[in-house]
Amino acid sequence: MSTSLVFFYVYAAVAVAGALGLVFARNLVHAVMSLFATLIAIAALFLLLGSQFLAAMQLFVYGGAITILVLFVLMLTGPRPEAGGRSKEIVRLLSAGLCVVFFGAIAMIIWQAQWRISPSRIHDTASIATILFSRYVLPFEIAGLSLTIALIGAVVLAREDDVIEAMEADADTLAAGAESAAAEVDSA
Amino acid sequence: MTLTLNHFLVLGAALFCIGLYGALTSRSALRVVICVELVLNAVNLNLAAFSAYVAPRQAVGMSFVVFLMVMAAAEVGLALAIVITLNRANDINAIDSIKRLRG
Repeated sequence: MSTSLVFFYVYAAVAVAGALGLVFARNLVHAVMSLFATLIAIAALFLLLGSQFLAAMQLFVYGGAITILVLFVLMLTGPRPEAGGRSKEIVRLLSAGLCVVFFGAIAMIIWQAQWRISPSRIHDTASIATILFSRYVLPFEIAGLSLTIALIGAVVLAREDDVIEAMEADADTLAAGAESAAAEVDSA
Repeated sequence: MTLTLNHFLVLGAALFCIGLYGALTSRSALRVVICVELVLNAVNLNLAAFSAYVAPRQAVGMSFVVFLMVMAAAEVGLALAIVITLNRANDINAIDSIKRLRG
């Protein structure tokens, strides 16, 4: 067994254990911590694939930002028990069956397929940058724009209602003022 | 025994299925959101593995991972905003008791 294979099994074990913890932990904080373990393991797997850039991105975006965001929301919404606990037995059985069948099908396809493996492994940050800023520059800009729009939408959604009501009231008074002004112009 | 593409693909499929099971069976809205994050991560792993093994000279798969990360960040921001809004409006956290999204 090669060294990289040993490391792969270690990271894969951490990732799968974290994923199982995420699904089966009763406490949501524990679930988020399990997700964190999985994300770190996937960052390590990116390193194993030879991409330092993706590993760093995974650590920053997922390990840092998204985990902290989820924990913040968890604390904002309070340590409330998941109303009524878990879902119904039949739903769980059906979902488990579906997932097992799906995994079996994918695994079978993977073992039977013949991939055209290329021997050289050249992956550096510069090659990602080159392709992002040449061939995929328009999708890159669109991705940035859609991220901005989504985050503005998130702020609008999560804002307290009274702020929105105050803005609507302002708009109403403005409209009323405009109408009365129009009426005065008409009478004059 | 050496590390091959199949190892990464099977791991990605396993993570995908675990995340799918969690998203299907969980009743907590927050847990559904993080299970979807797990599914997206499994897809990221697959893309990076294919890119590294099949077409290593051009980092197309790697750049797709970057796009997916951006989309995942947007998705999690919006989803968490919806969770907060639902929590404030209805004082509930279980997704199957949510009947309407408007207002």
